[in-house]
Amino acid sequence: MGKLFLLHHVVGTFLLDERGEIVKGFLAVKDIDENVEQNLKLESGSDELPASLSRVFEELSADSTYVVETEQLARLLSRRGAAGVEVDRGAEPFRRFRERVADIAVELGFVRSREEYYEYMRAFLTELARRKLRAAARRRDLLAAQSIRAIDDLDKTFNLFATRLREWYGVHFPELDEHIPKHEQYIELVYELGHRENFTIEKLERLGVPRSKAEKIAEAARNSIGADLSDFDIEPIKVMAEIALTMYNLRQRLADYVEAVMREVAPNVTALVGGLLGARLISLAGSLEDLAKLPASTIQVLGAEKALFRALRTGTKPPKHGVIFQYPEIHRSPRWQRGKIARALAGKLSIAAKVDAFTGRLVGEKLVEDLKKRIEEIKRLYPKPPLKKEVAGPLPPKKEKEKKRETRRPRR
Amino acid sequence: MSLPVRVSEHPLNRHIYVVELEDGSSKLATLNMVPGKRVYGEKLYNIAGNEYREWVPYRSKLAAAILRGIRSVPLREGDKVLYLGAAAGTTVSHVSDVVGKSGRVYGVEFAPRVMRDFLLVVRDRSNVLPIFADARKPWEYAHLLELVDVLYVDVAQPEQASLTADNAHHFLKPGGKLFFAIKARSIDVTQEPTEVYKREIDTLKRGGFEIIDVVHLEPYDKDHAMVLAEYRG
Repeated sequence: MGKLFLLHHVVGTFLLDERGEIVKGFLAVKDIDENVEQNLKLESGSDELPASLSRVFEELSADSTYVVETEQLARLLSRRGAAGVEVDRGAEPFRRFRERVADIAVELGFVRSREEYYEYMRAFLTELARRKLRAAARRRDLLAAQSIRAIDDLDKTFNLFATRLREWYGVHFPELDEHIPKHEQYIELVYELGHRENFTIEKLERLGVPRSKAEKIAEAARNSIGADLSDFDIEPIKVMAEIALTMYNLRQRLADYVEAVMREVAPNVTALVGGLLGARLISLAGSLEDLAKLPASTIQVLGAEKALFRALRTGTKPPKHGVIFQYPEIHRSPRWQRGKIARALAGKLSIAAKVDAFTGRLVGEKLVEDLKKRIEEIKRLYPKPPLKKEVAGPLPPKKEKEKKRETRRPRR
Repeated sequence: MSLPVRVSEHPLNRHIYVVELEDGSSKLATLNMVPGKRVYGEKLYNIAGNEYREWVPYRSKLAAAILRGIRSVPLREGDKVLYLGAAAGTTVSHVSDVVGKSGRVYGVEFAPRVMRDFLLVVRDRSNVLPIFADARKPWEYAHLLELVDVLYVDVAQPEQASLTADNAHHFLKPGGKLFFAIKARSIDVTQEPTEVYKREIDTLKRGGFEIIDVVHLEPYDKDHAMVLAEYRG
């Protein structure tokens, strides 16, 4: 029967002859959602094929050679027992079809007019792009969640290593501990200098210690009460210090990575609270979609589950905030404003997460603006602790207050 | 801000305009298809009941090429354009203004981040269609397209010229035009093309293109040039 050109298009699947004329064809499902879904499945390599394509497959003849444009269609054809299959991208019959596709769609009754064809294609392509975008984002939110957990692991391990090193190296030079409170600096000095004899003013200054402090440390090194250690004993300490430093650098790199991923995956959440906190919220919720499904009240206390459930069990005050406490405007504000700000922020976060997960639009700027306004309002309305309110307003039901205290006291 | 006083058609294209301002300066512009809407913070000028959008050469390589005297701007009303590397849709929006409501611009972009912004442009412009795909693999979006009159390529890829030839082979009509934005490291494009650059042009020629013009985009874009070519198939 000669060569047949098999072409799958949004409007249907067709067999063309060498002149590009349609020999046989089946129209696609008109419903945009359904059509997009079927094409996405074809792309992802699922066994479920678009309706029009599987109907063409039912009519394959054994003595024809089929020409297609993608390896994927070629594979599908051979699997269905087609004898001759060729891949010829951009072959003339395909081009002929594409030249007239709008008219063909009208002639075959897929759409009523060329205008409708373009409207249909625009809606189809927009929906397709949106769904692919969403799929791309959904996978990567898990990367953000994993890397924030890795950051937490690194922080814990780094602290553990740092405390161990302080104690271990303290055998040799105990005075250094109180002079250098920053872990990473302490470890760097131990790694770079080793023996306390090397803690001279010049060397310390070269490693970024200010002159006055360097003098004190050098002085302490000369008069140290620590034990003298051989190179053999210092070496393992230095190795461990090196590993701790590597961990510290890895942490910085992961933080940058999380920021970058979050800007792509959840731009609106990131606009509100930054990548790290945003990733932490996703990590606590499970995924971006899970976060999007949470009510604002839950987002407000994510990460404070222990306090929340204790409150529910015993009737003490519920927590005002979970990890969103890390948001500067919350932990920097006076105690009595924190709950209100946390509530406002959680509300915006809930909106942002939903937009990020389900539409991909950019509304971050507007949310940030609204939140700022609300925070200013809170600061204006509640500049003083609420004690005054109790005096001014009607007295609160005393009994209940007493009760609450009673339930709490025995726990102390 | 000085006010616009006069508007005239650009000599190369009836749908590209030159807006003259009060202070004697003039700006390239297109007729805004969606009055009142900006795409990238450009200025809007109202003259005689029409709204024109400033076309900023520092943001759009096509505008830079026009200001640098490219020989022609073969974009007609009603043209179908395949735009590879649509990014956030800055240049696409102007091309969309030029080809008008009866034209179509298919914008191909592969980076999720900018695709989001591009979808905002698509939402407002009825003649722009988004394709979220890898321009290096035209066969993967062949089922979404039709043949086009113009191919616009701005993808900054090592194999830019070969992917252009590939896309043309799939989608460009014989006699169709090509705009090809190319990164040409500090070279004089007309006289002393570097090896890399020559190779790109050669690939285009082998892919069936006849070069019409090459312009350097200095000072608007450092080390960039715009190649205009016609497809012989």
